[in-house]
This record gives sequence, C-alpha cells and structure tokens, in this order.
Amino acid sequence: MATGAGGAEAEGLGALLVRVAAGDRAALRAVYVRQSTRLFGIAMAILRDRSAAADVMQDAFLRVWQRAGQFDAGRGDASVWLSSIVRYAALDVARRRGREMPSDDPDLGDRPVDADALDLLAAAEDGARLRACLDRLEPNNRQGIVLAFVHGLSHPEIAARLALPLGTVKSWIRRGLMSLRECMS
Amino acid sequence: MSGALPGDPPGNPDERDALAGEYVLGTLDARDAARVTAALANDTALRQAVAAWERRLAPLSALAVPQAPPEGLWQRIEAALAPVAARPAPRRLGIWQFWAIGATLAAAAFAGVAYVPRAPAPRMMAVLVTGQSQPAFAAEVMPSGGLHLAAMTSMAGTRPQAPAGRQWELWGQAPGAAAPTSLGMIPMHGSTVNIATPAVQPQKNMLIMISVEPPGGSPTGQPSGPVVFFGRLMPAGNT
Repeated sequence: MATGAGGAEAEGLGALLVRVAAGDRAALRAVYVRQSTRLFGIAMAILRDRSAAADVMQDAFLRVWQRAGQFDAGRGDASVWLSSIVRYAALDVARRRGREMPSDDPDLGDRPVDADALDLLAAAEDGARLRACLDRLEPNNRQGIVLAFVHGLSHPEIAARLALPLGTVKSWIRRGLMSLRECMS
Repeated sequence: MSGALPGDPPGNPDERDALAGEYVLGTLDARDAARVTAALANDTALRQAVAAWERRLAPLSALAVPQAPPEGLWQRIEAALAPVAARPAPRRLGIWQFWAIGATLAAAAFAGVAYVPRAPAPRMMAVLVTGQSQPAFAAEVMPSGGLHLAAMTSMAGTRPQAPAGRQWELWGQAPGAAAPTSLGMIPMHGSTVNIATPAVQPQKNMLIMISVEPPGGSPTGQPSGPVVFFGRLMPAGNT
C-alpha cells in the first residue's frame, strides 16, 4: 500500500525501525527525538497525568525496542504503528485504574469535535476521507467515537458524558464503526 | 476464519470485525481487551482486521495535542534497554538532603518513637509480559517486602524457560529512577519462586523486568542481555 502520513518523513521512520530491530540504540533515540512530542500528547489525552503518561512512554519504547522486527515497512505506516503501541499501553493503564479520571474534566470539553478540531483531521494526510465519513454520522455518535479514541473514554463514561443510556451508546458506537468501515472502503 | 475467540459466535466475520474495531477504539473492558490481545498472536485474520482499523482511525490521533515529554524521560528509557556502558557514578547527596535526613532522624528521636522503616504495604502485583504482550509471570510483593513470582502457562501449554546456559535476572526500576537495580537471580525450579529483595523496597509503579544473563548475573550491574519480560507493580484488586 502507499505509505500514509508523512511521505518521506514516514519512510525515514520505517527505515529507522529496521535499524532499531537490529539493535541500534541511536536509531531508537532518533525515533524518540522525532516522535516523543506527538506520542506523549497521545498518552496525555488518554491519561491526563504526566507521571502516568511518562511511565506509558517508557513501557511503549521498551516494546518498540523488542518488537521493531515485527513492523513490516511494506505493509504498514511507522507512525501508525508507534501511536498504536502508545495508545494500547495508555488504555491498559486507564483500565487498570478503573478509568477513574473525571469524565467531566473541563479539559475534555467539546473541543475535540468542534469544527476547528475536525479541520485538524482534514489537514492530516489520509484524514480528509475519515473526516468526510465522520461527518455523515450523527453528532453524538461522532463525538462518542472521538471521545473513545482520543481520550480513552469507556462506554459508561461516554454514556454519562452524553447523558444517554449505556445500551444506546454501545450499539450506536458499534453501528458508527460499521458505517465508517463501509464509507471508507 | 482461524482461532475463534472463546465466547464469540463462531464463524461470524461481522461480529469479529466489530470486535476488532472496538479493540482499536479502546472501548472494550479489560477482560475482553486481554482476550483479543491474547488471540492476536495466533489469529492472522483478526490481526489483519485490527491493523485495518488502526489504519482507518489513525488520523484521529491528530486531535491529541502534542506535548513535550518530561526532561530525562529518554535517559530513563535508555537505562532500561540493556545498557552496556558502565553504571553511572552514584549521585552525590546535596547538603540539603543531608539536612533533611538529619532533621527527620532528629525529629524521630525527639519524639521518642521507634522508627518504623516499613509501613504495612497494600498488596501490589504486576503481570510481566513478553514483547508480544503475552503474560509470562505474575509478580506479587510479599509481606516481607520481597517478590513472589509465579510462571504462567501460555495458551500453547508451555511455561517460560531461560535459554540453555543462561539465567534470568530480576530488576526493579522505581518511577523516576534513572536506571534499574538488580533484585537478584531467579532460581527457577517448578513454577513459583520467592525472591528476597533486601536492597530495594518494591513500590507502586515500579517497573519490574527480567533479563537474560550469563550464569551468575550481569557483569555490568545493569541488564546486559535482552529484557524478555516486564510489567509495572500496581495495587491489586482494581483491574
């Protein structure tokens, strides 16, 4: 497939991961220098706690160090691979602590789904199509998907935040995902 | 479709793809997410479904506001990698730290109370996983302060084993510490072992690692072979 976000930059990142897989620590450091600000932002959006997000980054980079050999530059995008590792590590921590963070945190706001925020999405390469497909969902459904992906909110937290019954939220999100898949295929 | 997940309708591709989507979205609870993680190792179709969802939803990451990580984080990461360099010189205690320690001891003496070094610790556990996120050991802090390790049986029915002629060494890295400290070698006969850790008090959020070392342990005082299992100590009971 065509490499997604980043063009030459992403290709460089893939090449760095090949060196990391061979045990090259300087290459891992280069990955850190290039990506840590973006990745720390991803962990912070989920955890909203700098110390926990730093622990997640350490665990994630240990995994990158051990698993770089599994990254297939011919089939995947290096930046997607890295952000997935950080997201799963952050979600594990959020689950372990029972996602006790207040979901009425004003930092969550409605900002992620307002027009400006979705413009950010359109600006990202490959983001325009996702945005167009998200635009076709009902606003609450769109907001639920963004709150889950970006801020790591669970079904009950999304239900509380949108003041909707839990069962409704679960089936909406599932339907939303299926409609996104169809729209993007 | 290979390797149906336990509890899922067999041969229902839509259901499985929805599960993969919810896994990537992050809305599965801990138990279901762990089930998917475990199934990924042996289920190519599920792995492909997850990768496709990661690609579809990846642009949403742009909505997380980038933030510079704390100073010193790279040094922490590097220290956990299996450094070959010599152990860094111990940090000198500043005069204020001496003052603080002295003041604490003086206060304890003045109050005439016995200095109790260890408060009763809450139960603390870690699941040590492989690089593929497969659980390999459960570690629990013992009331004495040491660690109890229990090898976990994999889905294939095997238990973790050190490579022939090598031994496992256990390490702990406290949150914010620049480097891990050895907690001793792991003498593995049978499936559980208790390790006394007189030098280190296992604490919340401590990173526990197991590295592969020559017999007798790392010659450098830091992990010299690959770190094969790791996990973080967390209070038990709130998974």
